[in-house]
Amino acid sequence: MYSGPVIDCDVHHGSRSQEDLLPYLPKGWQEYVKGRRPNPLPLFTVGVLQNPQGFMRQDAVPPNGGRPGSDYETTKAQLLDPYNIARAILTYEDELFMTGWPNPYFAAEVVRAANDWTIDHWLPKDDRLCGSILISNHLPELAVKEIRRLGSHPRMVQVLISTNALGHPLGHPLFHPIYEAAVEVGLPVAIHGASTLTGGIVSPIAHGYPNFYLEYHALTPQGSMTHLVSLIANGVFDKYPSLRIMLLEAGVAWVPAFLWRFDSEYKGLRREVPWVKRLPSEYFHQHVRMTTQPFELSPKREQMIELLSFFDAQDILVFSTDYPHWDSDAVTHIMKRLPESWLPKIFWENAVEAYGERLRVSASTTVAQ
Amino acid sequence: MVSMLVDVGALEDFREGSGFRIVSVKGQEVGIVRWKGQVYALRNYCPHQGGPVCRGTLGVRLVGGDGKPGVIEIDPETPIIACAWHRWEFDIRTGTAVWDTRYRVQTYSVVIKNDRVLVEAR
Repeated sequence: MYSGPVIDCDVHHGSRSQEDLLPYLPKGWQEYVKGRRPNPLPLFTVGVLQNPQGFMRQDAVPPNGGRPGSDYETTKAQLLDPYNIARAILTYEDELFMTGWPNPYFAAEVVRAANDWTIDHWLPKDDRLCGSILISNHLPELAVKEIRRLGSHPRMVQVLISTNALGHPLGHPLFHPIYEAAVEVGLPVAIHGASTLTGGIVSPIAHGYPNFYLEYHALTPQGSMTHLVSLIANGVFDKYPSLRIMLLEAGVAWVPAFLWRFDSEYKGLRREVPWVKRLPSEYFHQHVRMTTQPFELSPKREQMIELLSFFDAQDILVFSTDYPHWDSDAVTHIMKRLPESWLPKIFWENAVEAYGERLRVSASTTVAQ
Repeated sequence: MVSMLVDVGALEDFREGSGFRIVSVKGQEVGIVRWKGQVYALRNYCPHQGGPVCRGTLGVRLVGGDGKPGVIEIDPETPIIACAWHRWEFDIRTGTAVWDTRYRVQTYSVVIKNDRVLVEAR
């Protein structure tokens, strides 16, 4: 079994309460939140669709209270230390939903507060922690501003999109300034697929709003599929040849069949998008990386391995837990489900290649089996 | 394989309604729970991904009413532990998953002797 260092590309950290973030808002926005109400305006726009059994691992509640993921010491004890996590990329908690505020100016302010709070309160705690520049995308020019503001911070390793604020798939030209800015600062752009709860702006699944959390959760790959197709069809990778997209929590088993379909479709419909010069699967392999979680559970281990081999997954996947969520994947479980020869790449090398020097590790670090 | 009875505590320490207590039996974590007067022992290891199943939520099974959508009823006779991680549901009496009896959490025989709870370990 693999015993080398692990990079966990999706670790959710959160504030204990919005009181943590308020001091990072400008005074006027603080008054907007707190004034003239018996209770402060909530910063988090959690959707009506909620897991009726709770969203977190039940064993991840910090000893001193607070939500799972809000206490560094608990994250360290449950994840960083026991599993040889060399780098953990932080991806927020309820803050992901702050990007869904209909008020685009407020959304931009609160994500800026979340980023500054992360830099002040999480990154200094542990050298293993890496940050994400969370952005709201209602007004792409404000997202660009935030990317440029923090793009040179040495501990920020990616731009993080979590909401579809404009009701268009993310390859739409409206969003292109975001990719341009990310390339300018040399960072990949992560799309957190499961956050297509969107704050109610669009349905999280195709054809209308679902009734049950089960429907939504079983279909979370839909949003990621939509954005992947949109990015390729709209020529985003042709415009920005050095752009890297990280698909977080997209699921993986759907990928090979969908790429076969997409390539076939392109061969007949290429005329509509002549700026797309290569097969979609080629763009995918060059520009896209995906986290392993949620890793579909095939009835037999070999079935999933064969499926993954159809799209050279050992080069595409980067390991993630999604700690401390209820649907997180255990480190040892994923190690057992994958071929041992793939593990150094998926647990270490692919992330080093994808994130580059911001991870502050060397790709040539010896990785023991 | 030789089995032995491991004393895990006084019967009065496992109170009805207080959920699972996790004890160590031959180096393994085992959850002990009392339900409707009986004591059950399950290994604190979910067959899914190895999560601490006994640290989940103990409750009753919910069932549909005659298969009609929109009706949820309680089955008071089936005690369920939902794993603390992914909420997979297991009948604490047999360890079997609600949706497939071939899938199960390991269980142990329990003997009550002199008001002590003894777990049969193999």
